[in-house]
Amino acid sequence: MSLWIAAAKVATALNVVLLLGLGYIWGRNYLTFKSKHTLGLLVFAVFLLLENALVLYYYLIDPDLSAWWHNESLVPMIVWQTQMAINIAQTAGLSFLLWITLD
Amino acid sequence: MEAALWYVLTGTRGGTNRVRILNALDEQPRNANQLAEALELDYKTIRHHLDVLLENDIVTKSGDDYGAIYLPTDRTRHHWETVEQIIEQVE
Repeated sequence: MSLWIAAAKVATALNVVLLLGLGYIWGRNYLTFKSKHTLGLLVFAVFLLLENALVLYYYLIDPDLSAWWHNESLVPMIVWQTQMAINIAQTAGLSFLLWITLD
Repeated sequence: MEAALWYVLTGTRGGTNRVRILNALDEQPRNANQLAEALELDYKTIRHHLDVLLENDIVTKSGDDYGAIYLPTDRTRHHWETVEQIIEQVE
């Protein structure tokens, strides 16, 4: 059971790292090019970063939400499995995006 | 095509150098060696950027691998206003 929970947390933490990398490259490029296209990429990275940081916060830190998430009688395993699938799908997509961006 | 130009030239880590390469090739078609010299970049770096530009149909080459001369494609020329807009920011 804890495997699903751990995978969801690790994937979310990885998403934060990947988005920091993308945000750094796009932020630096925005400073160079000042175009709406690079700004768009930067805004995308910032909002998805906020989303993942928020998820990580309530998985790990928030006293009410993290307790709620870790209480098996409140959050059935199928919810964690779905969460994990969502988090990992995002990790896969962001990894690919970082790969082409580093090219 | 414009979306590809924007991403390859301004969305990636190597974008700035690719813009410089495209600008140099617009002035005068050259081979990888001449580009490395003109832009003071590593030959391998130039080759890598040229491969990415080729793959995205932004530049084309004539001649065999070693001495091949690179130049912007017709498609790129067609969207040169976009390229110019990007080049201005790098200079």
